Amino acid sequence: MLSLCFLPARAAVPSARLVCVRAASGQPAAGRTDDPQFRPLDIGRRREVVQQARERRRATLPPPRHERQPVNQQWGDVWPAPRTFHPDAVPLPLRQGFVKRPNAQAPPGKHANAELMKIANFLHLTPPVIERQCRALAKFCTPWPEGLTDERLDELRPLEVITQDFLHASPTLRHPDARVVSLKVPLSCLDLTETDRDKLLRLVGDRHDPKTDVITLTADRCPLRRQNRDYALYLLTVLYFESCKREPWEAELRTVADAEKFVWAGSASEAAVAPLGAAADVVNSYGEAVTRLHNEGEDESTLAEYRKAVVALLGLPEHVGAN
Amino acid sequence: MSFIESTVTMSYGKVSRLLKVLRIAPPEPPCRPIHLTAACSKVSSGRYKVTRSKNKPLTYEQANPPHYLFVRKGFNSFNTSNLKDGVRPSESAMEDMFIRKFISGTWHNMFLSEVIIKRQLNMIRISGIVVRNILPRKMYFLIGYTEEMLTNWLQCPVKLELQTTDSREDVVFKYI
Repeated sequence: MLSLCFLPARAAVPSARLVCVRAASGQPAAGRTDDPQFRPLDIGRRREVVQQARERRRATLPPPRHERQPVNQQWGDVWPAPRTFHPDAVPLPLRQGFVKRPNAQAPPGKHANAELMKIANFLHLTPPVIERQCRALAKFCTPWPEGLTDERLDELRPLEVITQDFLHASPTLRHPDARVVSLKVPLSCLDLTETDRDKLLRLVGDRHDPKTDVITLTADRCPLRRQNRDYALYLLTVLYFESCKREPWEAELRTVADAEKFVWAGSASEAAVAPLGAAADVVNSYGEAVTRLHNEGEDESTLAEYRKAVVALLGLPEHVGAN
Repeated sequence: MSFIESTVTMSYGKVSRLLKVLRIAPPEPPCRPIHLTAACSKVSSGRYKVTRSKNKPLTYEQANPPHYLFVRKGFNSFNTSNLKDGVRPSESAMEDMFIRKFISGTWHNMFLSEVIIKRQLNMIRISGIVVRNILPRKMYFLIGYTEEMLTNWLQCPVKLELQTTDSREDVVFKYI
């Protein structure tokens, strides 16, 4: 008879499982016989039973796929789309993981390796699969026309419409920046006079790039891309026609002091030189020298030219004022 | 009619005795303490204490503390939300938390690794390592149930790509 009172004080109340295991372990307690009428009560899941069930389940599993698959199979059919790494389907002997002492411990294998599952694999894009996809797409491709070079394209299609499409992982396709439309137009393709161009540049401001002579108009005020594109084209049209118009107050506003460049014709300098009565070509060369001096600034060549022109205009001897 | 304010000055001891009589808790005396020693900013996140008997199992993920992310460990969640011009970063993070809670509650003690969430196009692909302690039929039900419920809640296709293993020792990397 099992006597609970003889147990040590620590294990004061043994569980039913403990009692049953002790009873089933085959060591008959004092005074107990194998009585068929009084079978031992077995409440818990016995470890041996659980292990046997597990062994049976393991035995009924088929071998992993990489041992069964034929060597001449199409890998593209086995792994057609991006999928998390599965060790039983991929026949490669991979290992992933950092171990401090590689001589003592091998890096973890591919089975039950979460790190291998985390990283993106490209098993669906092996070279034969890519070749097959390219061959399928090739029949829709035609060669680029030979005569259509970049310069010819700039002549035929000078207007450039720039939009951005965004690819992101999200339940929604919409991206707030996808509605922005930019328009690039070189000014040379627009039919403008000097004053038209001046007015257009004043209207456009810093949207004009002086190096490339291109105007960039960006529209993002509408919610849809099509609306923004239409607005940008409308804006370009309005800019062009406004710059061709002349308002009555424009003539009053623009004075000689507003001019960006010095113009000889009708200037105070010309009026001052006229009473001297010099020859026309001498006056012209003086005019050119003064224009260059104003427009290009003072440097050696412009000052030398100015000196020469003044000397010729006033009829002075050559050596006067040299150096 | 104006009334004259009169201030009664009492010492701090008399005030506290009065408050004690009146059964009111005295206010704390005003003080501004300062640190006289350096603050010990000890990081203890994601680190496990070594046991005496060295029998606590750790997976590879648990064995490497968080500063080894992107060095020895990979990330558990992949999405484009946190790139430049990415959309909905906070919603993605909240959805990830929800998915992890839901999976841990549905698969009772069956996930041996962390839940790995990958977002691709409009799909969410969930993977992880699961122990085979239930019948395959029940596992198929759980997979279908998880996919269906998450698809309905997150409003996008959700796919489970699990790897199963039969014993918990397969994911143990070291014992501490």
